[in-house]
Amino acid sequence: MSNPPRARAVGTMELVIGNDTAQIARVSEAMDRLAVEHGIAPTPLVQLQVALDEMVSNVIKYAWPQGGSHTLQVRIEVALGQVRIDISDDGRPFDPRDAPAPQTPLPGKRPRPGGLGVHMVRQFMDRFEYARIDTVNRLTMIKRCDTDNTEP
Amino acid sequence: MTVNSLEIAETRSGTACVLALAGRIDSSNAEQFSVRVEQLFQAGEKDLVVDFKEVLYLTSAAFRVLLLATDEAERNTARFVLCGIMGQVRDLFEMGGLLDAFTVHVSREEALAQPG
Repeated sequence: MSNPPRARAVGTMELVIGNDTAQIARVSEAMDRLAVEHGIAPTPLVQLQVALDEMVSNVIKYAWPQGGSHTLQVRIEVALGQVRIDISDDGRPFDPRDAPAPQTPLPGKRPRPGGLGVHMVRQFMDRFEYARIDTVNRLTMIKRCDTDNTEP
Repeated sequence: MTVNSLEIAETRSGTACVLALAGRIDSSNAEQFSVRVEQLFQAGEKDLVVDFKEVLYLTSAAFRVLLLATDEAERNTARFVLCGIMGQVRDLFEMGGLLDAFTVHVSREEALAQPG
């Protein structure tokens, strides 16, 4: 349950979104804005966007099996040489790292959907950690990439 | 219009229907793509080409739609082919081990020149 130490932030965005996948658009817009402000190159930006979409949609799909309206928090923090993403929700305890890996298809068969999102997050992010803190699921992802270290 | 929107332009070329996608395909809009593909198959479409040339990136929500559409095409004895997969979009297909899962042509021209 390690909580990675924080690097000094040069740009932060915090969003509260509803448990509705349409609202993920607000998260990707925020990530795009930070990338422009802090000179994050297209390749790491795409990888950050994919990881955000996978993990935020995961929370929306699995955190509240009973349904109803809920909110989750997304914090994106750019620091020198890294981007840190924290996603928090008050749903049921759920460690996305436990998701099964994508199954290797049988010869001549197509792969089946499932497990791909977590697989991509593992490939793209340098740290991928989960903690249950009281009643909150906290997912932390860190990607090392070049950033402008100037304040906007 | 925000940079988030997925645009789907539908054109016909001979017997083929081409869906040219532009923007990002993620869990906020994959349903929009899925519904369009389903409608086409339900209407009896037998030759569907999806062009990714203007796509910025796609996430597992989009791969799911593509895998299910490929199954559906097989059941309908329809052709479902992809083209214009380049750069970062290609990297994402490769990362998912999915380039071999689909019939992929380099360009739209090539996809249309090789009907199934």
